[in-house]
Amino acid sequence: MIEYLIQRLAISAITLAVISLIVFTGVRMIPGDPARVMAGTEADEAGLADIREKYGLNDPIPVQYFRWVGLAIRGDLGESIRTRETVTKTVAKKLPITLELACLSILVALTIAIPVGVLSAVRRNTLWDYLANGLSLCGLSVPSFWLGIMLILFFSVRLGWLPASGFVSFFEDPAANLTRMIMPAFVLGTALAAVLMRQTRNSMIEVLSADYIRTAYSKGLAGRVVVFRHAIRNGLIPVVTILGLQMGALMGGAVVTEQIFVVPGFGRLIVESVFTRDYPLVQGVVLITASAYVLINLLVDVSYSLLNPRIRIKGAADAR
Amino acid sequence: MPGNGGAVAARSAVVAPDAPATRLQLAWRRAARRPPALAGAVVVLLYLLLALGAPWVAPDDPLRTDWGQIRKGPSAAHPFGTDDLGRDILSRVVYGTRISMQAGVFSIFLAMAIGVPAGLVAGFYRGVFDQLIMRLTDAWLSFPFLILAIGLVTILGPSLTNATVAIGVAATPTYIRLTRGLVLSTREEEFVQGARALGAGDLRVMGRHVLPNIASALLVQATVSIPGAIIAEAILSFLGLGVQPPSPSWGTMLNAAQQFLETAPWMAWWPGLAIFSLALSFNLAGDGLRDWLDPKDY
Repeated sequence: MIEYLIQRLAISAITLAVISLIVFTGVRMIPGDPARVMAGTEADEAGLADIREKYGLNDPIPVQYFRWVGLAIRGDLGESIRTRETVTKTVAKKLPITLELACLSILVALTIAIPVGVLSAVRRNTLWDYLANGLSLCGLSVPSFWLGIMLILFFSVRLGWLPASGFVSFFEDPAANLTRMIMPAFVLGTALAAVLMRQTRNSMIEVLSADYIRTAYSKGLAGRVVVFRHAIRNGLIPVVTILGLQMGALMGGAVVTEQIFVVPGFGRLIVESVFTRDYPLVQGVVLITASAYVLINLLVDVSYSLLNPRIRIKGAADAR
Repeated sequence: MPGNGGAVAARSAVVAPDAPATRLQLAWRRAARRPPALAGAVVVLLYLLLALGAPWVAPDDPLRTDWGQIRKGPSAAHPFGTDDLGRDILSRVVYGTRISMQAGVFSIFLAMAIGVPAGLVAGFYRGVFDQLIMRLTDAWLSFPFLILAIGLVTILGPSLTNATVAIGVAATPTYIRLTRGLVLSTREEEFVQGARALGAGDLRVMGRHVLPNIASALLVQATVSIPGAIIAEAILSFLGLGVQPPSPSWGTMLNAAQQFLETAPWMAWWPGLAIFSLALSFNLAGDGLRDWLDPKDY
């Protein structure tokens, strides 16, 4: 177990190091002169030189990289060129909004995916199953931003039930917050629901054909009890992993969803920072996103191996 | 009906009832058992024809503006209505097929062109090479697909080609992982060992024995990743990072439509429906292909 943990941690650390390299190089490949962006169009050569000196842009690239990584580890990601606010502070302001959106959409996804997935596994190859499959294929194929536009068209423009965009903090006005978050959460949750539903169905079908389920049935237990007490527990384990792996897609989806519904969250921040060529912000935001993904998956893997000794042993062997 | 009976008799004369069916016939029979997959494949094919034949199918020039026809609803002259510059939306949707197909198909080609060889080498040789490629892949996969694509387009600059490249590069790690995994299990098979024992070199073993055996899994993955790539292109264009106006990309059309939801909702209907139906058809076809190529399914 300890061996597996150490192995898993080492891999994550290497991944994080490679990520930092990719982000650093990538941002330096964005066309344009960061000094010029920081100084504004009015600045003369002397002003530019000052800024290069101040931010160490004249130093050799490896020196710049290690300085950046050193500061990043201590939580200092520099400051935004546009707002002069530190990157960490900006992210700290935007992240809770996206986290709320993400949690709500996971909630939406699970409420749809698990019942429908279980139902279509239990009633395999019936009309219900076909309907559920069709639904999940539609969920996978519908472009989320178009779904968002259609929802706005219907619920805001046509019916006038929900506000089309904007954001109100939950702590200021919970009702206003939720009415504005419903549509984005639904849009973001749809694709996730489709993926999770397929996974739930597949793993439930596998579990339902296991020997211990047959034993449970032959003991004379009711079908309901077998499904809910025996099958679901094992059937939902892979769903948790997939949920972890889908966090990246959820982040990407948040970018588009927040753009459409004008939610001032982390996803919108990414697009804004890219458009305004706010280099430190782009760098910090992308680094945080990728690192978060690595950490989430590390946690999923570790908690998984704690729950299931079979994976612990097999996982350690596979990792080699 | 005597004529009908004659036809049946003639057909059974060509294919004797107990003669083993040809591979093509077997394949067709198995495909015909899956109407949704078949329908998906047909629609994909239709879109392909639409893309190739856009100049003949589209009723109008997709770029021609008409100031007398601004934001007019669907009519006989303009079945899908007109947009904010008086352009015919039907023609723009038809031409948009070209852009979507191009971005969707070529980006996945690119991803496979990089990912499959890399995965082959990693899985075949193992060792340091494998470790190096896999750690890079892990890091690559840690960037959400869309955010990576956005980042790459920022570096490359907005255009259709660059969006295609960005989507392709963002999709590559999936192919490295998949190929590597498939190679790992295939290289231990007896026929690979046999080929080695007969003195086949690495390249021959990879090209003639391993690759053909993993090709179908790769093909299925390609079919199901194309809709993702098509949607990604639409998103990039929607955000203003992909195809630039006035080119008729479905994404840019939706971007323009967003400002006129109250007065011209049809501007948002058609491009979105087009993306949805094309993506759905690819997914249906891909699902069918997966079952169809599954040897357990005879």
